[in-house]
Formats: sequence, structure tokens, C-alpha cells
Amino acid sequence: MSKVMSNKWIIAMYVLPALLLISILIFIPLMLTGYYGLMDWDGVSAMEFIGLENYITALQDRLFWDSAWHSVLLALFSALSLAIYLTIALILASKIKGANLLRKIYLIPMLLSSVAIAQLWIKVYNPSNGILSTVLGWFGAEKTPLWLSDTSIVLYAIFIPILWQYAGFYILIYYAALKNIPESLIEAAKIDGATSLQIALKIKLPLIMGVVKVTIVLAIVGSLKYFDLIYVMTGGGPNGASEVMASYMYKLAFSTSNFGYGSAIGFLLLLITLIVTLVINKLTASKDEIQY
Amino acid sequence: MFKKKAFTMLAGLFVAALALSGCSDSENASSDGKKVIKFMHLWPEGSSKQHHEIVENIIADFEKEHKDVKVEVEVLSNEQYKDKIKVLSASGELPDVGMTWSAGYLEPYVKGGKFAPLDDLLEGDLKDSFVSGTTEAYQVDGKTYGLPLELNIASVYYNKAIFKENGVEAPKTYDELIKVVKTLDKNGVEPIALGNKDKWTGSLWYMYLADRIGGTKALNSAIDRSGSFEDPALVSAAEKTQELVDANAFVDGFNGLSDEEAKSMFMNEQAAMYLIATWDLPNYTTNEDVPQEFRDSVGFFDFPSVDGKGDMNSYVGGPGVGLFVSEDSDVLEESKEFVSFFTQAWGEKSVTEAGVIPATKVDGESLDLPEMYVDVLEKLNTATNITLYADVQLSADVAQVHLDQIQALFGKETTPEDFAKTHEQALSK
Amino acid sequence: MARLGKSLLYISLALVAVFQIFPIIWLFLFSLKSNQEIFAGSPFAMPAEFRWENYLKVWEGGIGLYFFNSIWITGVAIILTVLLASMATFAITRMQWKYSKLVLGLFMIGLMIPIHSALIPLFNMFLNVNLIDNPWSIVITYTAYNLPITMMILLGFYTTFPREIEEAAIIDGSSVHRMFFRIILPMSMPILSTAVIINMIYNWNEFVFVNTFISSDQYKTLTVGIQNFIGQYMTDWGAIGATLIISFLPLLLAFIFFSNKVIEGLSSSAVKG
Repeated sequence: MSKVMSNKWIIAMYVLPALLLISILIFIPLMLTGYYGLMDWDGVSAMEFIGLENYITALQDRLFWDSAWHSVLLALFSALSLAIYLTIALILASKIKGANLLRKIYLIPMLLSSVAIAQLWIKVYNPSNGILSTVLGWFGAEKTPLWLSDTSIVLYAIFIPILWQYAGFYILIYYAALKNIPESLIEAAKIDGATSLQIALKIKLPLIMGVVKVTIVLAIVGSLKYFDLIYVMTGGGPNGASEVMASYMYKLAFSTSNFGYGSAIGFLLLLITLIVTLVINKLTASKDEIQY
Repeated sequence: MFKKKAFTMLAGLFVAALALSGCSDSENASSDGKKVIKFMHLWPEGSSKQHHEIVENIIADFEKEHKDVKVEVEVLSNEQYKDKIKVLSASGELPDVGMTWSAGYLEPYVKGGKFAPLDDLLEGDLKDSFVSGTTEAYQVDGKTYGLPLELNIASVYYNKAIFKENGVEAPKTYDELIKVVKTLDKNGVEPIALGNKDKWTGSLWYMYLADRIGGTKALNSAIDRSGSFEDPALVSAAEKTQELVDANAFVDGFNGLSDEEAKSMFMNEQAAMYLIATWDLPNYTTNEDVPQEFRDSVGFFDFPSVDGKGDMNSYVGGPGVGLFVSEDSDVLEESKEFVSFFTQAWGEKSVTEAGVIPATKVDGESLDLPEMYVDVLEKLNTATNITLYADVQLSADVAQVHLDQIQALFGKETTPEDFAKTHEQALSK
Repeated sequence: MARLGKSLLYISLALVAVFQIFPIIWLFLFSLKSNQEIFAGSPFAMPAEFRWENYLKVWEGGIGLYFFNSIWITGVAIILTVLLASMATFAITRMQWKYSKLVLGLFMIGLMIPIHSALIPLFNMFLNVNLIDNPWSIVITYTAYNLPITMMILLGFYTTFPREIEEAAIIDGSSVHRMFFRIILPMSMPILSTAVIINMIYNWNEFVFVNTFISSDQYKTLTVGIQNFIGQYMTDWGAIGATLIISFLPLLLAFIFFSNKVIEGLSSSAVKG
């Protein structure tokens, strides 16, 4: 058995196509990004090697750290919102009527492109005739918050569409994982007199922990490089209040023609994401994966 | 062992990719032996229909006259266009002819040797055809690298019907403007539509205040470093900007609204005033998609004077997009010919068909033009000064600082003093 | 008591559903309104008359070809991605070799790259192999960039897949290929459908790569083509709404069709332990 399953040629045949593809299309650009980060380059004239200067500048750049902080906040929000998604998935998977329909409805926002979502929520948040202000108006609110132009709330205002957009995605993944749990285990627990809550927490949750871990990484990695929606909705503003690492990088590289510095920020973004991921893996590392 | 192999393979690929990235080839001959000019512009059919049609017609005419040349067009909307040009120029693949903005935008491309000088055209076919002062914005070290298509000046457009209902008149001074604002605000009308998410929109307000308070010199000399941004006039302009904000002059949530949203508010009579440049003229004159009733109710006034100071004939504005020819083009001569042909044809057609003001001289007498258009043309002819938009004048880095500071100033997240200081620091770097 | 609990549960689930779907219904109503209604009327009012011409306007922009491109590019990339990701995940999780963890780590790093920093290097590479303005550059880019997330989705299935089935197959003398293609791949169908849906969404809506690598109109996809309608001078909000709905509708239909398959797959799933 182990002989067949450790045949080097077969392993190569299965792994190499995918590995080659990401090596060429992802890792080479990645290395080049790090390399451009060592250059003074406006993307037009000749490059000039300046060593680590861009990276040193970045470490002292308040705007970069502000944007990194906003990204971290987004990542935290996203990780926390997984608990909501998981709860919903647990409810849906507990043989509830209409679960399939609901699950589908929840996923619908995910089908829209980020640009469309941004356009849509810009209109939801419109201070004079958006849905939100109108609804709050019914409840007697006279002066509704200026969602996207108040620097103290804009980041939260942006988080709502993100929560909305990804709900279906994570619910779908959790749901599929939950449906994979052998019926026999649950039946056995029921016979032992466990309540549905106990089943959910003591049996189902531990069994899908592997999937939960993957989603935590996905949510955090995704948030740390989050870009499109923020760029369209606020452009990082007002006054940098919703600037995140990726939008800052984009701004430097594409709006201010500071391609070298932008690349350095892009590379730092990657390093930060990598470190955070490693830390999460360390923190969530449990005894061996549960097998059944 | 296996890993070693894979690694060598990857390394090999990597090296190959790097080695290859040195050379590039661009095909400039089509299958039927015609020379091909690659042309990129930013007026898609969906969003700028009239512009798009004019471009199509000009190309058709050009190809008719030059049987051996084919123009291959790629159209992208504004943001996408800017992004793609960046990538193309970094890869040495600029189109033969494309669109550029003046001054600060153009400079890095010229310094990087990407754009070809077009002075021979200006001395030849196009001699004296541009309004004076327009091509200068495309000059670097005495050579011209772009030919402007549009010329714009900013004015305050206002809804005459709303003004009348509220018993106010077009203000001539800043104090009158504040009064108008207060009256409108008291009557529950949003006074001024402003989409300051885009930041250059707020910059227009600041620039005008700076121009009126400090004269045409103050801002320009701060930028060309013969003066300082901490000039009292520039600080005071920032104070006045915040005064307007405090008077509730701008629509709710302006810092989160885009210019399109603000424009929509003005055009749907949700706000009484809107400061914008003349590229918007068609919306108030000839654009059939806008209700006639609304178009009839729009008027415009020059930016008011402040405390008795300011030359009302001084404007903020300047040429908009212009055409460049790529220095590396294989069909340089044909491309230049095309640019020359294009600017001339554009000068004729854009007036009547798109209702915008070209950078070439317009003979207003012989054409049947809307009244507002004629008025604006006259303003242009009597203008004593046109200060180029600050974000265009400045180099890209400093422009970004300026724009961010504008948003902070309007949002009251900075003081007028700090606003000036931050500018001064960015400029003196 | 239990009944009350259950009703409360249903009410909250329904509320979430409303929250998820309402903005889209609102967008749809919006797309049928005139500018006047959008700005002066209540945002909740029905359109005074249904302005289907907003849709006609967009459709007449000639988006049929973009549509076709979107479909085939999305489809081919999905097949490639799902196949390659399944194979790699299988080899990493089920086969025994020293560097499997390391290679998995490499794929995970692939999740982390901000695409904008990859644009210029990628453009250069495609330029050198003459793949600029060629739809295949898009197909392989989509495949590569979706591999990591697809593998993450599949990982859960592969790590919990019962050893016994594998062992039984090997004892029966089946080859690894046979086992993978005949047993494991079909058994992963439910989770594969999830992966397909996610890939479909990503590919269909992708924008930056197409915009950068493709210049001819004939190869552009719907998302890029449609961007023409949301322009600088555009203030026709009804048409913007119509544009957004048009680009979203095909995906919705595909999703409804496909998710039924998913459910069939799920309910008849062989993975019962």
C-alpha cells in the first residue's frame, strides 16, 4: 500500500501541473514584486537600484501603518463574522425545512461583482435618498449618520457589504462540511439523549474544525488584501479613514507613479499576511485532525 | 532528488522569463500590408456617445484619405485607461497614439523618453490653430509632447428656478454667496452639490478662493517654488473653505459622494449650485437625454470676489486630455499625421456635435451655437488668466498630498495652518 | 415552548434572507426607474412605469459577443482549475512524501498575493510568449489564481476521506489513477460543486486581468465590456442599475441550475462514513 501511495512519479504527475502553473504565474510575479521594491521606479523611466530604502521608508510611513491597521481591523471583523455564518450553517444543517432555499438565497449577493456591490451599497448609503437613511427616517431619526463621509464610521460602513457579500460563501462551505458528517454519529448521540445544541457543539463542531480553520485563514488572508469594494466605494477616503494596505499600494503604484515604493508595500502586505497566517496556524494547531 | 529537478526546472523558467523580458516585438503591419496605427482613447460608446461617434468618424475620414493606413482602436473608460497605460508603458508597449493629460501627468513619460515631441506639427500644419496658452501645458523643457483636445474653465452653474423660488440672485461676492447659502439652507434646499470623494472637485473651490484672495500669483508661485504655500492668502483661502462648510453650503455627506453623484443631484434639482468645468456644457445645452425644462433653468456665474478682492475674469481651468505619439512607434510619421488630422477635425466637429470646447480656435460667429455656449466662449476670449488645475500642475506625489489635504480640509480634519504646512512640506521635498 | 423557539428561529432565518436579498430586489426596481423617480421619489416606491428601455439601451450596446467570451473563458478555466486542484490536493493529502506540507504551504502563499502588484510582471511574461490579447492568457491566469482557494475548499473533503476505501481499492489491485478518477473524484462531487460555483463567480466577475491583457473588443468579457456603460460622464442611474442586473442575471441562472445539481449530489452523497 504505502509503496503505491508514495510512488514519486505518480506524485509528480499529480502535483506538478498545478505547481508549475502557480510558480510561473504567481511566484515569479511575487519575486519580481519584491525585486521592484528595491528600485526607485516610476514605471516609466529606467529603474534605479536603491537597496532597502523603500522598505525602510515604508516602516516609517504613518499612512502605511494606518492602512495596515485598517486591514487588520477588517480581518478581525471577518474572522468574527465567521461565528455568525457558522451558527446559521449549523441551524440550516439541522434538518430544517427550506434549508436549501435559504442557503441559495444567502449566496445570491456573492454572485455580484465587487464593482456592482460597491455601486449598490453606495446607493444604499446615499445620505439623501438611500434605503438606510429612509428606513431610519421612518423610525424618527432626523439626522442620519453620513455613512461614507464620516471618518469615524466609514470603515464599519464598508464592513457591512463585506459581511453581506461573503455570508453565502462561508455558509455554503460549512453546510457542505456539516452534511458530510456521518448520520450514524448523530443518531447515536440522539439515542444517548443529547439535545440539538449539544450535538451541534460537542459533535458537529469538533468534526468540522479542520474546515473552520481553513475558513479562518481564508477570511483573514482575503481581508488583508481586500481591495475592489473599498476602492470603488470610498477610494480609501475620506482622509484615509478607509485606506487599506492593498488600496494604499494601488494608489502609490498606479496613481502616484511610485511603482518601486508601491511594490515594496505589496511585498510587505504579503509578508504581513504570511506572518499572520503562520500565527493563526500555531494558535489553532490542535492534536491531530479528527478522523472518522 | 526529485525536488532538485523541479527546482532546476523552475529556476530555468524564471531565468528564461527574465531574459525574454528584455526584448519585445510589436507588429505594425496588418495582414493586408497596411500600416497599422494603434490608438487608445477613453470615450466608450456607452458613456460618452457623442465623443465616441466623432472619433469613429474622424478615423473613417483619415483612413479614406490614407489608403495605406489602418487605425486600430482600443477604448477604455477613464480609470481603466489610466491603469492600462501604466502597465503598457512599464512594458514598453504604449500605443502609437493615445491620450494624456498635461503638466504633472505628462512629465514622467517625457523624462522617460516615451513621448515624441510634436513641435514640428505646431510649426507646420497646426500653426496658430490652438488657443494661446493651451499647448504650453504640454511642454517640458521647451518642447511640446501633447496636443490638447479640450479647453475648459470652471464656473458655478446654478438652478435659476430654485434661486427664484427662494428669492435669491446669483452672488457676485463671497458675502452674497454665504447669504444665498444660508437662505437656501434655511428653506431646506441643499445649496451646493459637491462630490468630494473625487477630491479634485473640492480643489476647484479652494483654488478659486485662493485666486480671488491672493490674486493669480499666490498659488502659482507657491507651486513653482518662487513663493510659499504658507502665504497668508493661501491660508485664508483654506479658512474660507471651512467657513463654507460650516455654513452648510455643501450637500450632506459630500466627502463620501462621487462627482457623478453630486452632478446627478444638481441635474435632478436636488441641489441649487454646482461648480464644474465646461466639459459639462452639453448637459445644460444640447444633450437631448436631459429634460429641456431643466436645461432651460440652468445659468452660470463667475466665481464671486472675496472681500472686494479678485479678478472676476481669472479662471481655474485648462486643457483637458490631449493626444500623444509614442516615441518608440514604428509608424511615427503616420502617427503624427494622424494626430494632426485628428486635432483639426476634432476642432470642427466637437463644437457642433459634442457641444464641448476644443483647444483649437473656434469661429463662434459662423456656427449656430447655444446661447450658453456662446457666453462661455466669450468668457474664454476675455479671460485674463487661466490657472491650471492644481492636481494637474503638481507632480503625481504632491498632487496626491494636495488632494488628500483637500478632503481633510473640507472634512475639518485639518486646520488651515496645517493644510498649508503639509503642502509646503510636500512641495519643498 | 419548543414551538416558539422554532418559530423564532425561522423568523431570524427569514430576516437574514431578507437582508441578503432585499438590496438586489431594490436594485432591480431601481433599474426600471427614471432619473426623476430615483432622485425625487421614495427609494421604496415602485417605478411609475417599468422602463424596460433601460435594459434595451444596455443590450443595444452589443454585448452578445462579450457574453459568449465570458461563458467559454469561465467554463474552460473552471474545468482546468477543478481538475488540477483535485489532483494536487489528492497527492498532497493522501499520498506519502516528505515535502507535502511544504508544497501545500506554497499553494497557500498563492492566496496572499495582491493582484495589482502582479500585473506588470504578468503582462511582461505574456508579452514575451505572445499571449497578450489572447484569451488563453486569461484562461491560464484564472486557473492559476483560483487554484489555491479551490484547493482550500477541497482540503476538508480530502483530509477526512476514509482510509478504508482507499485501502480496499489498493488491495483490489486498482491503480492510483483508477482509484482517483473512478472512486475519489466522483465521491468528491458535492464539494466539487461548491468549488465550481466559487470559481464560476470569481471568473465571471473578474475584471483587472481582462482589462490589462486583452485589447481587442472581440475577446473582451462581459464584466469589462459592461464597464463602458459606467463612465465618467454618466448620470443615468437607471441604466447603471440595468447594467448591473444584466451582468448578474446569467450567473444567477447558472447558479440556480447548478445548485440543484449540488443538492442532488449532496443528498445522494456516498460520503456517509
